[in-house]
Amino acid sequence: MERSLAVLGLNHKSAPLEVRERLALLSASELAKRIKAEGTTEAAVLSTCNRFEVYFLTPEGDSRQDDRITAWLEQVSGGPISQHAYRYNGEAAVKHLFEVASGLDSLVVGETEILGQVKEAYEAAHAAGMTGKYFNVLFQRALYVGKKVRSETGVAIGQTSVASVSVQLAQTIFGGLQGATALVVGAGSMAETTARHLISQKIMRLTVVNRTWGKARALAAQFLAEAAPWEELPSALERADIVIASTSSDRPVLTTDMIRQAAKARQGRSLFILDIAMPRNVEESAHGIDHVYVYRLEDLESVVADNMKKRGVELSRAREIVTDKSREFSLWEKSLGSGQEASFKHSNVPTPTKAA
Amino acid sequence: MFKPQMTRILRSIRFNIFLGSLIAFFAAVGTILPQLGQEPQKANAFMQAHPLWTKFFSFFGMFDLYHSWWFMGILALMAVDVVLCKLWNKPPDVGIVSLPPELTNEEDLEKHLDKKEAALKLKPFQAFFGSKMGLEDAWLAARGHLKREGYHVKEEFFLPGQAGAFTATKHRIQRWGSYFAHIGLVVILIGALIRSVFGFVEMVPVLEGGSRRMQHMFDPRSFAQRVEQLFWGHPWNMKEPIDVYVDKFTIEYYHGTMEPKLFASNARVMAGDQLLGQKIIRVNHPLDINGVRFYQASWGAGGMFRSVTLKLGKETLKLPQRTPVKIPGTPFTVEADMMLPNFTITDGQADTASLDLKNPAVRLMFSVGPHQTSPLWLLQNYPDLCFTEDANGQLTHAPSPPFQLAAVDPILFSGIQVAYDPGFPIVVLGAIMWLLGMIALFYMHRRRIWVLLESSGAGSCRVNLGAWSSRGVREYEAEFRSLAKSLRTELKSEDNFRLTENPIVEVS
Amino acid sequence: MNYEVLFLKGAWAFYSLATAAAFVYLYNKDEKWSRWMFRLVAAGLALHLASFGFGMHYFWKIPDNRYYFPINSFFGALSFLSLATVAVFFVIESRHQLGILGAFVLPWAAIGTGSALIFANPAVEGLVPALQNYWINIHPVILMTSYAAFGNAFGVGVALLIQEHQIKSRKPSELCYRLPSIEELDNLNYRIIVWAFPVLTVGIIMGGIWAYSAWGRFWGWDPKETWALITALVYAGYLHMRFVKGLRGKKAVYVSMVGFACVLFTFLGVNFLSPLHGYLSGGG
Repeated sequence: MERSLAVLGLNHKSAPLEVRERLALLSASELAKRIKAEGTTEAAVLSTCNRFEVYFLTPEGDSRQDDRITAWLEQVSGGPISQHAYRYNGEAAVKHLFEVASGLDSLVVGETEILGQVKEAYEAAHAAGMTGKYFNVLFQRALYVGKKVRSETGVAIGQTSVASVSVQLAQTIFGGLQGATALVVGAGSMAETTARHLISQKIMRLTVVNRTWGKARALAAQFLAEAAPWEELPSALERADIVIASTSSDRPVLTTDMIRQAAKARQGRSLFILDIAMPRNVEESAHGIDHVYVYRLEDLESVVADNMKKRGVELSRAREIVTDKSREFSLWEKSLGSGQEASFKHSNVPTPTKAA
Repeated sequence: MFKPQMTRILRSIRFNIFLGSLIAFFAAVGTILPQLGQEPQKANAFMQAHPLWTKFFSFFGMFDLYHSWWFMGILALMAVDVVLCKLWNKPPDVGIVSLPPELTNEEDLEKHLDKKEAALKLKPFQAFFGSKMGLEDAWLAARGHLKREGYHVKEEFFLPGQAGAFTATKHRIQRWGSYFAHIGLVVILIGALIRSVFGFVEMVPVLEGGSRRMQHMFDPRSFAQRVEQLFWGHPWNMKEPIDVYVDKFTIEYYHGTMEPKLFASNARVMAGDQLLGQKIIRVNHPLDINGVRFYQASWGAGGMFRSVTLKLGKETLKLPQRTPVKIPGTPFTVEADMMLPNFTITDGQADTASLDLKNPAVRLMFSVGPHQTSPLWLLQNYPDLCFTEDANGQLTHAPSPPFQLAAVDPILFSGIQVAYDPGFPIVVLGAIMWLLGMIALFYMHRRRIWVLLESSGAGSCRVNLGAWSSRGVREYEAEFRSLAKSLRTELKSEDNFRLTENPIVEVS
Repeated sequence: MNYEVLFLKGAWAFYSLATAAAFVYLYNKDEKWSRWMFRLVAAGLALHLASFGFGMHYFWKIPDNRYYFPINSFFGALSFLSLATVAVFFVIESRHQLGILGAFVLPWAAIGTGSALIFANPAVEGLVPALQNYWINIHPVILMTSYAAFGNAFGVGVALLIQEHQIKSRKPSELCYRLPSIEELDNLNYRIIVWAFPVLTVGIIMGGIWAYSAWGRFWGWDPKETWALITALVYAGYLHMRFVKGLRGKKAVYVSMVGFACVLFTFLGVNFLSPLHGYLSGGG
């Protein structure tokens, strides 16, 4: 009987966090034993915080194994999963694995961590003696496709939110942000998000300034940052590398004169100002000062829009590669039955090391 | 003395940069406008071609720009200004982060304990961790560790049972690098000044086998001799006229070319009939007489020769300069009166392009009794070429004669440059200072670490580190990280340590 | 067969290919172009060293040239300068891993070797007496090393201007995210100059000491000397403005570019002005 690949899985799109968390707790070796008991010779489990997937070989057109695994999973995880799961068979399953390895199915499209996780899943299966020729080739191809997509397309670059674009721009000015100082002027949800993004980049210091001292304290406490009174804004500006201006003032809070003074005191160190307030908080002429870069909300949004557009192109290029390679894989699969095994070109992905 | 306004201008770096730009500008002008000191022929040619400009330029000494009073003035002003700048201004920190106030006494320490956050806020690099050591032990261990790391510990304060603090610095010498380099620069300029006041340079062209008296006189005695003779009533400085003799001048060419491989003069230097020194001098190997050095600088053929050899069919004829010789078998007498080492024709007249023997030509006069033919020019390298010269010196192409110029035995002159430069050792000293200063300034980065230990009960304490360095942020960060880590091991720290006060950034 | 020229042609070809790879890498994020660039540069460097070795071998066939470096001719000087440029590039790369800078630095190596092959005469000549001194292995080598470093700094400066322009325009293209940050480029530009400046001044001083031992004067306002001094003054201005006035970024790069223009003029332009340092006349 012909056998083909099947996948049963849940991810961040299909299942709520609680369900995924329950499954993430399952032990991989327990799962391997169970699947082996079902009579499957080749199987692998990919378990990350955003997805839980079981890849296994099953007789073509037979969904009994699938049902049995689902039932067992529901049993051990203590809750229904059937309505959250997706199932693919044959070439669609292969394509799904390739997409996952390429980061196309990830929350942050193009992230590279998943590639290592796919490799780990394969190595675990290999160690458990759950891989044969089919899985060896399948996973080597998946890793190869994942690398190929990342190196030949731009899926990983181009952020698509104002906050992440701000961080990326700050990096093009300062490089790593570990030594950087950020200043939040005012409050606002977008300012908060941007500040959080900066904090995730391990900036050295974050200062919050607000006309209302209490608000400044509250926001600072939230970030575990420091607050400064409104009068200290000019001196805070001198020390800041990245300024997020987001007050509700209807007149510019950061005047060109003020920024010029700060820029002079900064002795040529760049000053990156994000004016994400409406109406504007920063006088437009400040952008003309040397070493001062003022990005308004619309500038950031146009960068985002640009990235979206570019990402569309890159994504379709990536999908093309994935489709192409999964078709190539099914050809190989068919050639196995015919006795004349086809070969892959350029599949120079090393075989995994044998786990002890 | 100075008006405050003027002082402000003089002590500003901006003014010094302005002076430097001025020097750079005029130095560049001097490389484009021909200078009498460097290329006298070109300069003279320029003067003849542009009489109007010349009047204007000469007024400002533009044809000897580098030695004009105003250029010297700018150089001197710059030297003085560098000194003033260094005296008045604190040496700049390489790096622009300002340092937090230093601890100076125990009250300050208490104040800093209160304002710890404010003080630490200014440190670009920070680390905090708890230690499982008593305050005193931790204090000693931290000091010992930093000392082993090459830091110099100073400003130590210790309040038993409460807190201890010290600062540790490394490569403080960097601060002085700038001073040292600038003093070196001024010393170099002083060396140059000494040379231009006390030293001299003179070009002495000497014909081979002849001698020439130098224009400069100098005292040939050594320093020790002068001191010794001072006691016998001799004056300190006894200048004498000096003659330079070149007994033999040799020149060798690379095989098959006219590129000189070596040229050397067997030279003697005499004061009257007293021999001061004798040596075969060649390029890079001068003769030194108590600091006055005789260099083989150049050589040339001035037009004098011992003899030329003519070839008439199978016979050869040797003609000494300006000596008529009868041509055997004919009524003609021939006389060679002039030689040009690198023959060329300028405005229709015979001329030489240089003083190298690249294209020697000889002027011959033929005569039969009292009748003289017009002079004839023969070229050694072009046996078929021949020119006649009329009374005005104009050359005319002539049919090739039945004889050729086979060889020329020229009397060469040796260009000996005599230089006395008492400033040279000072220039070298300045250069060494400059170099050492630069190494200290640019390659030795200053680091300063501030350590504050607070007791947190018996057998444990809190460690606060703040650091600054003139190194690049990224480079120093890695260094500080590893230093903080090793210090943490040393002080038996168990908790996670943070690189800043802000708990966001945790490094385990 | 002149192996010196043959190997230099090979080096030139590899440098040109490496430059092309560097430009492709500038617009295509595929790392393989960066790796290719390095391989090609390494191959070019190997051939270049071989070429220099053969040059030395030919040069030393004339006994009076032993054991001096063959950098007395325009050909030798250009070849050595390109070699030094690539070597300095390699050192910077090994410390900073900024493959993207290849596009701004490698063209100089390709242009340098190319113009040596096209414009200069590779014929070996005996050293004129003034150059028969061990100083020829020190003074020009030190100076050309500093010139090579300044060439690298210039490449970094160009990258900085592009990056600065991109960010100031508020419409950063993809290139913006591929280039190192402004601060990194500024820092790198400064660090190269801070390294090269003392080397330049030491080279000038060494020249002075040589001139003293050969001609009896430390300094003679010869155009080459003068222009080297002007170059040093410009870079000294750069360093002072940076230390004292905190000049950074775009304007600092402009000053350093004026410095590099002086370097180029010192190396090339002055040959038409200088009676002593002219590569074509040989000196004496």
